[in-house]
Amino acid sequence: MDKSFVAAIEAIVGRDGILRDPVELLAYESDGLARLRETPSLVVLPHDAAQVQGVVRCCHAHDVPFVARGHGTGLSGGAVPVPGGVLIGLSRLNRILEVDIPNQRIVVEPGVINLDVTRRVSPDGFYYAPDPSSQQICSIGGNVAENSGGAHCLKYGFTVHHVLALEVVLPNGDLVHVGGAAVDVPGLDLVGVIVGSEGTLGVVTKATLRLTRIPETVRTILAAFDSTEAAGNAVSDIIAAGIIPGAVEMMDRLTVEAAEAAVHPNFPKAEAVLIVELDGSAVEVREQFALVEGICHRRGGTDVLVAQNDDQRARIWKGRKAAFAAMGRVSPNYYVQDGVIPRTKLPEVLRRIRDLEIRSGLRIGNVFHAGDGNLHPLVCYDESVPGQGELAQQVASEILTYCIDAGGSLTGEHGVGADKACQMPKMFSDTDLDTMLLVRTAFNPKGLCNPGKVFPTPRLCGEKPGPYTPHPAERAGLAERL
Amino acid sequence: MTTSELAAALADASANRRTIAIEGAGTKRAWGGTAPAADVCISTRAMNRVIEHRHGDLTATVQAGASLADVNRDLARHGQWIALDPPFGDRATIGGIVATNDSGPRRHRFGAPRDQIIGVELVRVDGVIAKAGGIVVKNVAGYDLGRLMTGSFGTLAAIATATFKLYPIPPASRTVTIETSNIAPIVSALAASQLTPTAVEVATHPLRLLVRFESIEAAADQQAAEAAHLADTHGGRATVASGAEETTLWEAHAGRPWSGDGAVLKLTLMPADVAPTIASLHATLWDVEWEAVGRAAVGVLMLRVGGDAARQARLVESLRARLPQGRGSLVIVRASDDLKRAVDVWGPAGDALPVMRAIKQQFDPHGLLNPGRGPFGL
Repeated sequence: MDKSFVAAIEAIVGRDGILRDPVELLAYESDGLARLRETPSLVVLPHDAAQVQGVVRCCHAHDVPFVARGHGTGLSGGAVPVPGGVLIGLSRLNRILEVDIPNQRIVVEPGVINLDVTRRVSPDGFYYAPDPSSQQICSIGGNVAENSGGAHCLKYGFTVHHVLALEVVLPNGDLVHVGGAAVDVPGLDLVGVIVGSEGTLGVVTKATLRLTRIPETVRTILAAFDSTEAAGNAVSDIIAAGIIPGAVEMMDRLTVEAAEAAVHPNFPKAEAVLIVELDGSAVEVREQFALVEGICHRRGGTDVLVAQNDDQRARIWKGRKAAFAAMGRVSPNYYVQDGVIPRTKLPEVLRRIRDLEIRSGLRIGNVFHAGDGNLHPLVCYDESVPGQGELAQQVASEILTYCIDAGGSLTGEHGVGADKACQMPKMFSDTDLDTMLLVRTAFNPKGLCNPGKVFPTPRLCGEKPGPYTPHPAERAGLAERL
Repeated sequence: MTTSELAAALADASANRRTIAIEGAGTKRAWGGTAPAADVCISTRAMNRVIEHRHGDLTATVQAGASLADVNRDLARHGQWIALDPPFGDRATIGGIVATNDSGPRRHRFGAPRDQIIGVELVRVDGVIAKAGGIVVKNVAGYDLGRLMTGSFGTLAAIATATFKLYPIPPASRTVTIETSNIAPIVSALAASQLTPTAVEVATHPLRLLVRFESIEAAADQQAAEAAHLADTHGGRATVASGAEETTLWEAHAGRPWSGDGAVLKLTLMPADVAPTIASLHATLWDVEWEAVGRAAVGVLMLRVGGDAARQARLVESLRARLPQGRGSLVIVRASDDLKRAVDVWGPAGDALPVMRAIKQQFDPHGLLNPGRGPFGL
């Protein structure tokens, strides 16, 4: 990397704002998708928005590509560095700048942890609705980039429904304000475009979020079923009854076993476990909850457990939210897939996944946001067996084809990133992608901002991804993959 | 009409460098910037089908020229609806509602079109057909062009079809009408409560709030009673309406402020600024006829004001002067050409205008789509 460029960056962020030591750079090689790695030439840790702007300006002037990173929990390689590029870590921009309870707004920097927003306002009776499973560590900036959802987005929507305004450093270094603390700021909905653009349109340095009132009542029920179809039928009946639950989650036998081994939520052993949560007014929840209980029984639900207090409810959610990480208890390695199907296509798609399981010889667990059709198949493999890593990847990719055949999507919440860029043509035509690229060109004409993500390129997609190599820290026994 | 036919019409007009207006029912023809008539007007009215209602998945794909009312009549057969209630809802088309991101009282609970659109098929000015999003609610693959269309006033591309997430039609409804001289304490108390209204409307002359609860009957009843009690203890006089009386009340409300004469301005505010703004309108507008209607807790006021263009222009300027950038806006929606010439229709654009212009340049490099109509002349 050009010495004058590094000196210019150091002049902006100071000596403690730069990492160049190869050992220190290791931590930034990958995000939550450890399979994809690249060593950045330089990691920059700015202290404030002005420094972010200075760094981006400098990159723009020197034609150096750059990638913004929050807390690195993303699961699609969206924050994987670019060779020869700068990685901008936003962890130091972690201040909550303004809390405005009367207007139900909060202004935060991108490095603020998702759950810390809720912690800050819960004494006032409010919370921040988007609740990705990683909410204890993931950053708001990353949530904005990925349009993160969570178990409760069926009723409350995604990040895009809760972001009102953003301060953004554009790829040319201009700092602009989009949206507003008041709604319906006239003009194009740039907030709507930037949220979910996976860091390809700029670097967010501030976000104004909407706060939600804590509901009067929350009730959670867990029921066991002897097939995923039966559990799926219960979900269909709930929706047909005109009930929109706060959350509906399904886990299959393998993921229940894994969660049980890891965090002991005391789930029943069954082919499928369904978790339904209703929230809202006490009267509404009471009447609708009785309907849901009836539906679960009618559809063959057994071991029906109604959480009697917050502790029981927390234990149920702990079991569900730990499901990904818990797979390590039942398999040496696993591949987390993220696909979406129209919910009613669940039986058909699960049947195809089961056939694939038999054909491939790899076990596949399923965690499922059942209300909105977001599937998380977990493909188990053992990387010490030659070829199994590639096989797992092929199996995971095959599952996405089933999702798209059913009218669904490549990704419901993890993003396209570097991981699925080459699969985008499965879902979108060339003209669809060309039209999206008009937006990218408008924001990012030089293509320096998070290149190689979201959209397929011949360079990326002409080559076959290589076999997995363990992270040096993993090889040394210093880290394990969650 | 099919998407391909729409594409052919656009390709033909743009190849000949003709300016193009896309029009649905024309209910918002007077909105936006003053613009010379386009060379070609393409009507979407023949694109009026519900393409697919996936009731088990709570989604529907509809053509842009279908009226919201027709679509919702169709979806109601399975007890569902697109949860939007913008003005002129009996005639306004899906395409026009999306292009203006227009909404009504239930926005309080369900949001605006940008919150409900999950997929779009659009036709670029050169006739190229492209889609984004899809038919599933949860989907983060690719850029969200559907949301980019919302509020674009047809300046980027023509909307051919849109896919929405749907909601079940609630079985029961109650509305609490609250007359009061000061809405502020009641609106704050509602926001601090755990009540779950679907609409919290303010209207003037006389000053009142309309708070709607839609749920199962027992919950709507109980919440309405609780809201009425809360209003009574915060200086209001509350009455609860249901059935035909309630329907009549909301029909009358939907006509406001559109049925009266004068200019209509859209003010967006921080929610806590709604009450003081109404109070200051009472103090300032003693010399002209006016009314204000809007979303008290969301922070949107539709303000109708009489008088001549000069008086209206003075009002626009004085209101804008009090709105800090990003914490409020004032857009002239319906007005005489005199007013639209006297003051800017959109107000200050902020520092992101170059990005909006760059997007316009990419989508419509020759400026053929709805020239002059869109935000900031896009």
